[in-house]
Amino acid sequence: MGSVRTVVELDGVRVEYGELVAVRDLSLSVRDGELFCLLGPSGCGKTTTLRTIAGFESPDTGQVVLDGRTVTDLAPYARDCATVFQDWALFPNKTVIENVAFGQKMAGVGKTERREQARDHLETVEMGDYEDARPAELSGGQKQRIALARSLAVNPNVLLLDEPLSNLDKRLRETMQLEIKEIQERLDTPMVYVTHDQEEAFTLADRIGVMNDGRLVQVGDPETVYDDPVDQFVESFLGNSNFLSGRVVGSGTDRHDTARRAVTVEFPAVGAETQLSAANSLATGDEVTASVRPEIVELSPLSGGTAVSPDGGTPEADTTEQHNTDIEQGAGNRMALIGTVLDVVYRGSSIRYQVGVDTNESVELFVERSVARAPDLSAGDRVRLSWDITAVYYFGPDGARIRV
Amino acid sequence: MSDESPTRTDGAGETARPGPTTGQSLFRRVNVGRWLFRAGVGTVFVFLLAPVVVVAVTSFGDSITPSFPPAEFSTRWYESFLESSRWQRAARNSLIAAVGTTVLATVAGTTAALGVSNLSARAEGAVLGLAVLPLLVPGVVLGSSLLVFLGEFGLQQSYLAVIAAHSLWATPLAFSVVRASLSRFDPRLREAALDLGASPTRAFVEVVAPNIRSGLLAAALIAFVVSLQEFVMTLFVSGRDTRTIPVLAWNELRNTLDPVVSVVSTLLVLVVVLAVIIGTLVVGIERLAADT
Repeated sequence: MGSVRTVVELDGVRVEYGELVAVRDLSLSVRDGELFCLLGPSGCGKTTTLRTIAGFESPDTGQVVLDGRTVTDLAPYARDCATVFQDWALFPNKTVIENVAFGQKMAGVGKTERREQARDHLETVEMGDYEDARPAELSGGQKQRIALARSLAVNPNVLLLDEPLSNLDKRLRETMQLEIKEIQERLDTPMVYVTHDQEEAFTLADRIGVMNDGRLVQVGDPETVYDDPVDQFVESFLGNSNFLSGRVVGSGTDRHDTARRAVTVEFPAVGAETQLSAANSLATGDEVTASVRPEIVELSPLSGGTAVSPDGGTPEADTTEQHNTDIEQGAGNRMALIGTVLDVVYRGSSIRYQVGVDTNESVELFVERSVARAPDLSAGDRVRLSWDITAVYYFGPDGARIRV
Repeated sequence: MSDESPTRTDGAGETARPGPTTGQSLFRRVNVGRWLFRAGVGTVFVFLLAPVVVVAVTSFGDSITPSFPPAEFSTRWYESFLESSRWQRAARNSLIAAVGTTVLATVAGTTAALGVSNLSARAEGAVLGLAVLPLLVPGVVLGSSLLVFLGEFGLQQSYLAVIAAHSLWATPLAFSVVRASLSRFDPRLREAALDLGASPTRAFVEVVAPNIRSGLLAAALIAFVVSLQEFVMTLFVSGRDTRTIPVLAWNELRNTLDPVVSVVSTLLVLVVVLAVIIGTLVVGIERLAADT
């Protein structure tokens, strides 16, 4: 990669509102030219983090560095960044072109020149025909474009976007995501984009920073964050998964490598036990959660029929022990359960199956398939569920990932 | 529900008058209530406005003492008002005080309202309590203490003394009006302006003020009217050369029932009505009513 210039650097930033700590000792760096998504649930501190970069919040501790210059104590108007607000914050007393030219007016650029520049930016967002309109006359999508043009018009070193699409309907949102991505790639302006929508983050981001409870939990490119979650929060926030809770019932040595320590975890809900090796942090009695993603679950009708597998998983070393007779022993590294389809939900392009497991009626697993590859099942059908146990993610009592 | 007859669903109409159709009697009853309400409001208005009308009519009388209704009509008291240097001087003083108060109270009230909007809820409550305090202190107390206080600096009987006294009342009112207006203002707009490079002052001029201008105008209007009609404190702090119309009117009425007082009162009412009309034309009556 070489050394890419850092345009935004937060170093140990902490923001408190009285008793409430909105951002806890957060450090991150945004590279030049990238689109960095801050992703997290509402109230996780992602907007506060963005407002700290913009200068609307001053951190209680820590430093904010923009383009190599420490700006921690500088006012928003003294920083070379621009914000696109969630509700766009267009000036209702000004026309579209006056809105877009506002930044250059403040910079002391003459009227004809700044209007000319503003027109160029209106063309960029395909709003050239609306220069004399008032913001109140525009639709949400149009306002969004004007807000984007207005921020781009000050040629910011970094563009900050605070859930700019959350007030738009789904279809328009998806169109605008692609346009923002396209503009970002064309202008090469680094962007920090705050969102609570993981799909949006995956669509847009070069890198994603997942936030929870004021902390930056994980940073990485979308594939890494999705394939290698550091904890249970990231796993549950980035996608829907089936979580099974278990408990450590004993410890000993690994069956395959006696030099290693391993613990035995029981999942009473599905009547299964698994041995986890290299899990030194766990002691007997600790709670362990397994995440079985719907895409790894193979679902097939019990009476013959062909199994529909999402991918042809290759068999690997077995670490499973099975005691419960209800469970079929599949290929060495697979776990299999018998259950009944409780519900089939059509979700447009995909179909979601809700399956109750025989061993414990309260345990429901869901499996999603695209319509083209969906098995023909209906509620009440008996099915066989199986999955490659090496594709399961395990999390310890503190939620941290247990790497096996 | 569905099998009930329509007559049973609107029983209110039935008790009023068992007419041929209950729908009609219900309509009649509502109408009677509405007209009673209108008559009540009308009566209140008549009682409130009657003195104004009486004063206006007597100002056009011809006799030495004001009488209602006047035996003969003339504009001779208007002429003697225009010829009286004392009244002219008082009118000028009133105008100076009102303009000064308008500027001082609106600026102070607006800056206070802007300042309060950044405070925590508890601090804001404390400031609000302090801000309305002058309204709760009797004018006599304020007037006499102002006289003593300003006397220390040799400022008694000056225009500054009158403007300061009037602003003591007008500022809390202007503050409340601007604060109400600011509460409907989206703070993100100001942030957006700062974000795009505007200094706080430019952000106020370019974005905040235009969006709360009805509130600013209402505040100015209230300050103007408060100053024009203030009497008690002015009586204490003004002197021969700075006394305003209400003070002079009171002076004149102490000796005789001078019909010029009716003229002056009518003109005062006219000025206030004109001010409200101008305000209405600029921002619209609904916005003005909502902000005051």
